[in-house]
Amino acid sequence: MSLAALNKVEMKPKEYKSDVSVVWCPGCGHHGILNGIYRALSELGIDPDNMMSISGIGCSSRTPYFIKSYKMHTLHGRAGAVATGAQLAQPDQCVMVTGGDGDGFSIGGGHMPHMARKNVNLTYVLFDNGIYGLTKGQYSPTSRPEMTAYTTPYGGPEEPMNPLLYMLTYGATYVAQGFAGKPKICAELIKGALEHKGFSYVNIFSQCPSFNKIDTVQYYRDLVEEIPEGHDPSSLGQAIDVARGLENGKSPMGLLYKVDKPTLDEKLAEIVTKVGGHKDYDVNKIVDLYRP
Amino acid sequence: MAKKDLVIRIGGEGGEGVVSAGDFIAAACARAGLEVYTFKTFPAEVKGGYCMYQVRTSSERVYNQGDTYDVFCAFNGEAYELNKHLLVPGSVMVYDGPGGDFEPEIPEGVIAYPIPMTKTALALKSKRSKNMVALGALSALFNISEATLKEVLTLKFKKKGEDILNFNLGAFDEGKKLAQALEKVDEFRVADARTPDDVIIISGNDACGMGAILGGLEFFSAYPITPATEIAKFVATHIPKKAGTLLQAEDEIASIAQLLGASYAGKKSMTATSGPGLALMSEMLGMATMSETPCMLVDVQRGGPSTGMPTKHEQSDLFIAIHGGHGDSPRIVLSVEDVNDCVNMSVDALNLAEQYQCPVILLSDGSLAFSTQTIPAPKKENFKIVNRRKWDCKGEYKRYELTGDNISPMADPGTPGAQHIATGLEHNEKGSPSWDIHNRDLQMDKRYNKLSTVIENYHDTEIDGEGEADLGIITWGSTIGVAREAVERMRAEGMKVKGFYPKLMWPMPVEQYEAFAKTCKKILVPEVNYLGQLSHFIRAETSIDPISYPICQGLPFTPSQIIAKSKEVL
Repeated sequence: MSLAALNKVEMKPKEYKSDVSVVWCPGCGHHGILNGIYRALSELGIDPDNMMSISGIGCSSRTPYFIKSYKMHTLHGRAGAVATGAQLAQPDQCVMVTGGDGDGFSIGGGHMPHMARKNVNLTYVLFDNGIYGLTKGQYSPTSRPEMTAYTTPYGGPEEPMNPLLYMLTYGATYVAQGFAGKPKICAELIKGALEHKGFSYVNIFSQCPSFNKIDTVQYYRDLVEEIPEGHDPSSLGQAIDVARGLENGKSPMGLLYKVDKPTLDEKLAEIVTKVGGHKDYDVNKIVDLYRP
Repeated sequence: MAKKDLVIRIGGEGGEGVVSAGDFIAAACARAGLEVYTFKTFPAEVKGGYCMYQVRTSSERVYNQGDTYDVFCAFNGEAYELNKHLLVPGSVMVYDGPGGDFEPEIPEGVIAYPIPMTKTALALKSKRSKNMVALGALSALFNISEATLKEVLTLKFKKKGEDILNFNLGAFDEGKKLAQALEKVDEFRVADARTPDDVIIISGNDACGMGAILGGLEFFSAYPITPATEIAKFVATHIPKKAGTLLQAEDEIASIAQLLGASYAGKKSMTATSGPGLALMSEMLGMATMSETPCMLVDVQRGGPSTGMPTKHEQSDLFIAIHGGHGDSPRIVLSVEDVNDCVNMSVDALNLAEQYQCPVILLSDGSLAFSTQTIPAPKKENFKIVNRRKWDCKGEYKRYELTGDNISPMADPGTPGAQHIATGLEHNEKGSPSWDIHNRDLQMDKRYNKLSTVIENYHDTEIDGEGEADLGIITWGSTIGVAREAVERMRAEGMKVKGFYPKLMWPMPVEQYEAFAKTCKKILVPEVNYLGQLSHFIRAETSIDPISYPICQGLPFTPSQIIAKSKEVL
């Protein structure tokens, strides 16, 4: 989002909290991510009147209820597609999607590539807990095969996907990864994403103590490591290398990739300019084209 | 009655110029001030396969494609084989011969004119000029004004360069000479030119796009599907002129999702699809109902179920349009009769979506999609445009406020002080999730009851005829045009017949159906689907016991079919 056009407001992080109480379980990583979002919004001074917060279905998809903004709570998997329409309708507003790994990459998997490819000017924060929480613990596209869950009592038959590689491959122009246990880093990455003009994707590991018994806080703490200094986020090659894992096998934390490209709304506006379009165009001229 | 119309059918292989030849005749007739109604069938394949284009033209209004052809122009043997059963005494065939790929047997009483189309085209060193040769011959044989046809050809080919234009005009003249060398023994002729009314000639699909743009459309999300794609093409071409947006989505689920996002964000939005796309959209239609988001969708019906007969005509989406989706999900369903309706009712559909903040489905069908018709030129100034009710910025904003007419004001994102959520969850007046049983009743009632004024606000269903009748015909969609002619012809024979032609399919104007049925001894419901879907709704919602007359062969009704059935049931 290019935030320059928007009014800046002075609000403390906690002032972005709505009056709806947060419904997540105690110990859930999502609390940390939500705090990161509040902090990012505050640091950027985003006016809640100029923000659309959009989600699908799942635990993390409840996030819009907890944030002061305009918001839509849509259907399972469809938040990105709804947000694409909303962003194009109001290209000067800040649009943020929040959702989970199942919502985004399983049922919503048909939409993720196209937001990235089209460079839709919005931020997608994916709360990656490797499980379906709201339906009480089924394996997701990011679950490890050794996880026994609701529908995998004998272990999972599938390999997990790599969301970072996926997004880089499809052309996302901002790709970052964080961990809920590091809310300050989350806030930084989300802030960078909201400031970025183009499709920004932030993958955040988030423990689910209720249903994902193997991806614990400690597991994620051991899994992630900050991307070493010297990484060039403008290099797709370096970003892909990092996305595949750091040299010591750890999962990267930080900004992998950031590049500036024209956004979808800019390209659509170019078409209007090309045909000399304007709101007051006399549509009767279109009718005239069909006279015999 | 004296014959005022003429039906010319051209049949051939896809890619031979059948469609462009038909388009040229239609355009020339329209330019000559005549009424035109065309009907086409295509193969589902991209190239090749049998293709047919029928032009019906008259000095008076034409309501449908007609019973059969008067003149058949066969480009090849396959077209001849598929159409020879309709060669009845008095009909005319113009065919590619000698030198074509077939030798027709001419039935007794049929007049045949051989025109060596392929041979002439090859002599001109361009096989593609075959249709121009045919056009020249048809012009000379049936009084299709040469001057007007050449004007139309010039408009079309001039931009491709003088050489191409002159070559085509030359091929046209060759065909004309071949025809003039024959002795004309039939009496078929296109009516003489007259001063044209203020008309346009346009297809059903283009007309839906035109209506939407006249209706103030700002955002269109598209996904390709036969036979609806041309609507998106029209909008893609013209909406940027109005600084509007068309985006092609990754699938139909995404297209209706984008529509809802854009509509929530304040833009007048729509999509267009066919049955399979509508099936995919049904979950999001429920979301539009629940979140009370204006949502306009055109469904150009085709042969189902599944992939079915994608390029063929059918009216079989009434069930899914009215009730498709889970839960109790009220919406408005309209259905067009002809191309004129495609313009006017696209405006209606956008207006109703804005007024009632719900999904509005406009049903068109496969034969109208590609049918070009002459219609009165629409004018922006003549349309009333309705916009959503906006919040007055006073007091506390409640998105789902229970108002007197159950329609709650909306507030676009960016409006200070009106932050709210559009949600698919059951919610209270403020939009917060609520499972409270009392609130559930209130919000369910709200979503249904807000539609209680749709019937009184929409125009009454048209009744064709007065007084008591032995038979009342109730039908919908493009079958209405066929019924109009059937009713007129039966009346001319002295039969007491009336017609009832609903355009507002849901909410169903039950009292109007009942009142009509009281004036008729029997009710016949012809429609192009297998189960008799409108008959089903009539039985379910009214006390009428109709005689259902469904056909489901991929083709529209003909007036003769309805007349024959009417006589059978009386």
